[in-house]
This record gives sequence, C-alpha cells and structure tokens, in this order.
Amino acid sequence: MKKTAVVTGGSRGIGRAISLELAASGARVVLTCQKDLGRAEQTAEEIRQAGGEALALAADVLKPEEVKALADRVSADFGGAEILVNNAGVIKDSLFPFMKEEDWDYVVDVDLKGAFRVTKALVRGMLHKGWGRIINVVSVSGISGHVGQANYSAAKGGLIAFTKALAQELATRGITVNAVAPGLVDTEIIAHLKEEARQEFTGRIPMGRFGKPEEIAAVVGFLASEKASYVTGQVWRADGGMA
Amino acid sequence: MTREELAPKVKDLIVRRLKLEIDPKTIDDAAPLFGEGLGLDSIDALELVLGLEQEFHIKVEDEEVGVKAFASVNALCDFIEQKKTA
Repeated sequence: MKKTAVVTGGSRGIGRAISLELAASGARVVLTCQKDLGRAEQTAEEIRQAGGEALALAADVLKPEEVKALADRVSADFGGAEILVNNAGVIKDSLFPFMKEEDWDYVVDVDLKGAFRVTKALVRGMLHKGWGRIINVVSVSGISGHVGQANYSAAKGGLIAFTKALAQELATRGITVNAVAPGLVDTEIIAHLKEEARQEFTGRIPMGRFGKPEEIAAVVGFLASEKASYVTGQVWRADGGMA
Repeated sequence: MTREELAPKVKDLIVRRLKLEIDPKTIDDAAPLFGEGLGLDSIDALELVLGLEQEFHIKVEDEEVGVKAFASVNALCDFIEQKKTA
C-alpha cells in the first residue's frame, strides 16, 4: 500500500529535495510550509509532473491549531502518515552577548518544539499501524556548536536528544526515529553569505564544496525506507567530511 | 453491552495485548492494574490505550491516560461506557 509522508518545510531547500526523493521512492507526499503556499504548490506540482502524488498544505509548526488541522487532514484523507520528516527550521543568528531573548525563543520554538508538535500529532497513527519512520533534520551545529548560533545549536542539539529518547520509547513498535545532520548545504538559508565567508567555510570542508540538497535527501530517503528497519536513535552526518 | 459482558472483554484485551501469562478470569474487577496488583507500567498503559482505541473504537485523550480511568477493570469499564454514550 502507498505510504504517506509528511515533510514539514517541504517547499524549498533541503525540504523540497526530501519531498522529491520520497515521492520518487513511491510515497504520497504531504509537504507543508509556514505560509508561502505558492512555493509549496510549485514543489507539489513538480512531483505530480514526475508522476508522483503530492499535496501542499500551509501549516505553521508554531501554531498548535494549524498542526492539528494538518494531522486531521492527513488522517481523514490518507488514514494517517507512515513517514514524518521534521525539517521545518529557522535561524536567527547573532553573537550570544547580543542575542535577543525573542530570537532565542523563536528558533527553539520552531526548530525544537515544532518537531514536538508535529510528531505528537502524528505518532498515534503510526502506533496504530505498528510501522513508522520519523526523521528529524538537525545540523552539525547541533552536534559541535557554531559561533553565532547558540540558539540554533541548542535547538538542534535538543532535537538530537529528542530523537534518541523517542527512538527508545518506540523501538518495540516498528517505528524508527533518526536524525540527519547536514553540514553546509547550498540553500537559501545560507544565500546571504558573502563570497569571502563562503570561501572560508569551504576551506573547512574536506570535500572542498558545499553539499547539495539532494545529497541530504538521499540519506533521509534511506532512513525512511523499509531497508533501514534496524537503524534507530542515530544521527547521520552528511557534511562532506567535516567530522 | 452489559457490564457482565464488557468486563470479560476488557480482561481479555489486557491479557492479550500485554501478553500476560495468566487466565483473564483471575483478574479481580476491582484490583489495581498499575503498581501493585497486576504491576503494569507506563509502556503497558500505552499498549492498553492502543487496544482500547482499536477494539472499542473510542478515542483516549492524553490527560485521561494513567489516571482514574485506568485504575482497575471496573474503572476501565466505566470509562468505556462513558465514552460510548458520550
């Protein structure tokens, strides 16, 4: 039977590549976005053009009522989701002494609690099915920390710990929970970097280049597949050798 | 369904879903399920919730788990009856 995958923040960047990857592997993809439904619809259309099945929905992971509406829709239309990719994330970088409390709260609320909200809304359905794949997109910033990202590192580090705890809780129920930690990937989130900064970052990557969204999506695709059935609670880095 | 019909079904669900190696008939209607009594834990509670939802077609809310409703077979029967009529 066709599996349903929910990809939060699935309209662009790494989320878009993940949506395309899961659709190509045969899943029906429900890709969500915060509000720019146009972009999400574009990605969904791209999937349909390629012969896949996709639905674009606006669901802000900050808003419990929108997350509930998403879960209700997925449940009513598709009988729940088998695959969940918590990919929605934001950054609000600044050096810590200058970091505003609201920027801390915003990043933690979207990147960490957002995953809590969506997972909570969909996990019961997976429990009833006795099968599920939850993949949290984290970051090497959440493993090693990064200057100017105290809030983001804390949120992603929290999401890694969440991954490990939830993996143990769900281990006997056919549901695996894993995290994928991208290094520097060519998406809009780092488009603001100046050429100088790009070169400096590239110098720290043994492969000497930024990653492509598809190279992250491929790892997510494996972890979402039947084949990854004995892998749970893991953080898989895809970072060009930065570790 | 009368209480006399419901209670054995609930006991059967408990034994089956939690893979207990006891005769369902030996479960006392009023005995505590968690801690003392049958000695169930929170993972068992989750399995019971899934069982109730699947087999009795009721929806169990988070805040209803592990409290009074799950205290005993009697309490579970009350809970199911109340959900069914609600």
